[in-house]
Amino acid sequence: MIEVQNLCKDYLLKHKEPGLKGAFKGLLKTEYETIHAVKNLSFHIDAGEIVGFIGPNGAGKSTTIKMMSGILTPTKGSVLIGGRDISKHRKEVVRNIGVVFGQRSQLNWDLRLGESFELLRHIYQIDQAEYDRTFDDLDAILGIKEIIDKPVRQMSLGQRVKGDLVASMLHSPEVLFLDEPTIGLDVSSKFALRKFIREINKVRKTTVILTTHDLGDIQELCERLIIINHGVMMEDGNLSQIVDRIAPYKTLVVEYYDESAPEHPKCELTWHSGNIAKYKFMKKDVTAAEIIADLSGIKTIKDVSIEEAGIDDIIKIAYGST
Amino acid sequence: MSKYFYVVRTQIIKSLTYEFNVYGNIIMQTIIMITSACFWKALYKDQGTVSGVDAESMLTYIIISSVLSVLLITNVERRIEASVEKGTVATDLMKPISLFGVYFAEDIGNMTALVFQNMLPILLIGTVLIKAPAMADVRDLPLFILSVAVSFLINWLIAALFGMIAFTAVNISALIQVKKHLLRLLSGSIIPVWFFPDRVAAVLKALPFVYIYQLPLSIYIGKGGRAEQIGQMKIQFIWLVILLVLFCFAQNRVTKKVMVQGG
Repeated sequence: MIEVQNLCKDYLLKHKEPGLKGAFKGLLKTEYETIHAVKNLSFHIDAGEIVGFIGPNGAGKSTTIKMMSGILTPTKGSVLIGGRDISKHRKEVVRNIGVVFGQRSQLNWDLRLGESFELLRHIYQIDQAEYDRTFDDLDAILGIKEIIDKPVRQMSLGQRVKGDLVASMLHSPEVLFLDEPTIGLDVSSKFALRKFIREINKVRKTTVILTTHDLGDIQELCERLIIINHGVMMEDGNLSQIVDRIAPYKTLVVEYYDESAPEHPKCELTWHSGNIAKYKFMKKDVTAAEIIADLSGIKTIKDVSIEEAGIDDIIKIAYGST
Repeated sequence: MSKYFYVVRTQIIKSLTYEFNVYGNIIMQTIIMITSACFWKALYKDQGTVSGVDAESMLTYIIISSVLSVLLITNVERRIEASVEKGTVATDLMKPISLFGVYFAEDIGNMTALVFQNMLPILLIGTVLIKAPAMADVRDLPLFILSVAVSFLINWLIAALFGMIAFTAVNISALIQVKKHLLRLLSGSIIPVWFFPDRVAAVLKALPFVYIYQLPLSIYIGKGGRAEQIGQMKIQFIWLVILLVLFCFAQNRVTKKVMVQGG
């Protein structure tokens, strides 16, 4: 469905020198600095996938999404959607994609929501019957009909994002790009949005590419993760595989009846305070059950629990590794 | 085409929601109209005609000039500025529709709404307070309408070309004001260029601005013969072609530039 090859994006940034002297110097001569926002990104996304695009602020996520949705022209490399190069056939390809930017709206601020939808129906030249069908489907998931007559200006952020989501799906695109869709939303709005994404992916087979900083989004939605940092691909793969690779360990937390904690040869005692001791062990070397059995042979154990490396640890490690 | 008509329709609805904004322009135009009327009445006190135009025709000239100024309001510069500043160019670019086609359709929509909100009230106020601005020769009406249509296009193209500066400069609100007032002065909308010194008038006639206001207004008050009017309309048309070519060239470059730099 989507084929990204050697994608690069350079920006020219005006180099500004500090102070008044620098400001005057800038009037006479401007020096430019090249920023490599995205460096040689290549990947392939199949139809029907939900792919999470993650990375710290300024990693190049939004730039990549913009290039994939035809808003930015890549410096080098190409993006093929459905086999067609987006920078060469922009008008035809954008007909097949939907884009939602969490921080800016494509809705008409001064008009009732329905007016923006009608305008989109004409811009994408959607047949009325087809439009009604799509709209009813989307309404069944998001409940948009109750706010259809409300001016967008008066909407809450949650309602506005719902409106934007419906707007981006009215022309039934095969690919949906979401750039930080859940930013600033409350728990129930986030929940509704995730449900929407899952539904359209399941029922309409829409391919979804989303960027997010919300761990819940990743856990609940993404089967596949692409982690980028400094414009470079760090990881690409299945969520649990990435977890296994980046963090191939678990932590066993043991509570004893007194303050001494025994060592174990196959794991590392990473933390010990009061009655509680934490043992970090490699999943491939040993199982938690073995350690517990060995330890309980030495001392009486009151309680145990296991901490798995979560998605947040993965992100911390992945972001920090360059 | 139907999508652009729908943009026009949506823009009309949008313009009609700003009820309050409308009164400001009516008041402003009324002030300009009345002041100019007093000004011309005083100037014409001991004069019969100047350059073949009498006081009555001059009053008609300024009323119709005010009416025309409503039709010639463009929003494209501010539209570009706002969308560059807020970064909404991106959302405009991701739709299968031409960026400047949308801007043009929006301005047509604005103008249509303003015909009812501004033009008719101003015409009425002018008629009641100054005089009924009858056309000198009703047979010139088709020529007048044609020249107004061309001046609308010339005016819009100048505004659009001007607005493209915003893609590089981002904030151009001060420039927009300068352009607006300069255009009113150079186009003969307040003082017709035949009152200017010959050399200045000759320069202004070589520029496109007089063909926005002064030409249609001259046709309306019947200044100059048919031959002279047709001759001027030819120049008007040449300017339209020149600006259109310039616009098409600039439009492609600007759109590409936006897509390289990002919204």
